[in-house]
Amino acid sequence: MSKSLYIPFRYTLIVVCGFILAIPLLFMISGSLKSAQEIVAYPPPLLPETPIWQNFADAWSYLTPRVIANSFIFSLGVVGLQLVVSLPAAFALAKIPFKWSTGIMATLIVPMFVPGNLTLIPLFVVTFQLGWLNSFAGLIIPMAAQSAFAILLFRQFFVTLPPGLIEAARIDGAGWWRVFVSIALPLARPALATFVSISFLSAWNMYIWPQIVAPNPAQRVINVALAPLAGGENSIISPSVGLAGAVIAMIPVLTVFIVFQKWYIKGVVGTGLE
Amino acid sequence: MSTSPPLGAQADAEPLAVRPAKGRPDPARTPGRRRARRVDALTAGFFMTPALLGFAVFVILPALGGLVLAFFDWDLFGTPEFVGLEHIQRLFTDPVMWQSLGVTAAFVLLGVIPTIAIGFVLAVVVNSNLPGVGVFRVLYFSPMVASAAVAAVIWVNLYRYRGGLINQVLGWLGITGPNWLSDPVWARPALVIMMIWSALPLVIILYLAGLQRVPEDIYSAAALDGAGKWRMLWSMTWPNVRSTTVLIAVLQAVSFISGSFEIALIMTNGGPLGTTQSLALYSYKMAFSQRDIGYASALSLFQLVLILLIVLGVRVLVQLRKERG
Repeated sequence: MSKSLYIPFRYTLIVVCGFILAIPLLFMISGSLKSAQEIVAYPPPLLPETPIWQNFADAWSYLTPRVIANSFIFSLGVVGLQLVVSLPAAFALAKIPFKWSTGIMATLIVPMFVPGNLTLIPLFVVTFQLGWLNSFAGLIIPMAAQSAFAILLFRQFFVTLPPGLIEAARIDGAGWWRVFVSIALPLARPALATFVSISFLSAWNMYIWPQIVAPNPAQRVINVALAPLAGGENSIISPSVGLAGAVIAMIPVLTVFIVFQKWYIKGVVGTGLE
Repeated sequence: MSTSPPLGAQADAEPLAVRPAKGRPDPARTPGRRRARRVDALTAGFFMTPALLGFAVFVILPALGGLVLAFFDWDLFGTPEFVGLEHIQRLFTDPVMWQSLGVTAAFVLLGVIPTIAIGFVLAVVVNSNLPGVGVFRVLYFSPMVASAAVAAVIWVNLYRYRGGLINQVLGWLGITGPNWLSDPVWARPALVIMMIWSALPLVIILYLAGLQRVPEDIYSAAALDGAGKWRMLWSMTWPNVRSTTVLIAVLQAVSFISGSFEIALIMTNGGPLGTTQSLALYSYKMAFSQRDIGYASALSLFQLVLILLIVLGVRVLVQLRKERG
């Protein structure tokens, strides 16, 4: 191929492949605005004739504001609790010299290789025994406790802080807590961006755990409310309302993803390569 | 500033970073060292206690519990009853287990290789420094943002028999599409296609990172030798990302075995005729519909063994390849 044709060819290829991958999501957006007739019409129209915004109002009242609030409580609860618990632990493992740090690291790493779904049953049993079913505690705490990823990510970051920085503060009589809060934490912003975006996305998108631990309306999260709408032809709710619900469920994570894309991908690559 | 400031004033006198840490006279240091070390260990313990407590109760305990539960009969409410190897024996005589194992194997066989191939090609396509490409990269990553429930709601509509987009496109090609999700032959490939779509962003991201590490100069040398673009892709790029490929193969095998049952649970509930019920879904139903916690745990354990075998197999293969040079 000649040089002059290569660049337009490459652009076309990139855009076409990208759009093919994104077809299901584009279909979701277009379908969420179709009328109940259009969405089941044969042949299906590519775009709605007039956008039916009522679908979003219907989806909103089907999902209920309670469910959306629950999703935020659950996701932010998991992210926040993991931060509070894993940041100091990661700092201690990276910077405070003590005997068992390697042993603890190994203990953290090994269970990471066991897929979460294989420990789903015993984790449920523990939560059940604690009497935490149908409570936010049961929803949030067992998920927040899966903190190995967070600890390793932050530790990796704290290790790169120059030792001189911390030694100097120590010699000046700053306690470890002060070193942690006033030196290490302010520098940890990039690692925080990576962690918050990954953790928020994964918590918001969880389905199985909230489904088995807290399916009742008081704690129901958005993916649990949305899943029955995948009933296809048997559903009594119009498919376009279901698609509008899917759009609503995606807006928070899509926003976080677009804003934090750079850090998110860095984190995914960093953990994937270890 | 004087040459030897009083000790107490030091902290505020200079920025922390520029103070030399080594070689400062510190008379109090040597005798206090042991004590300091003990204080360090205590502080570290204090910093880690909440995390380790949570880890012990919600990671270690369930991991060990999962192993133990497989040897008990328990419905979640009564007293667990020890049954020894009964559940392990039941695994091998249970026809539903064999069918589910077949479904799991089909998911892996149908899913992993296309995911790797398509992911690699797409990563090569989008791995470009041309201006403006970054904007379109978001399209490639977008499936990652859709949860299992969101993806299910979308794909149920794509797969609809009449008026679904997929059968419409097939219709243009003169093919009458099946009733995807209720057809015992087509339900499984339908779910696999969806899982591949969900898995591609991660694969593309990992390959993009792998491609960054391929040295540029091997291409210019090959170009001088007159190698074409396709040839270079196959004989230079592909071998140079082999370690990434191995990693992706393992990650994807694990995710097709254990991770993707959410989608089948939401969309087909294992049907039609059990053709989409993988081991993971079977185990889930045993636990949460039948409340047969013991047998469900045995099914989970069996999956863990499968995953370990795959990881081990891949390691052996990689090792063999290395030894052959």
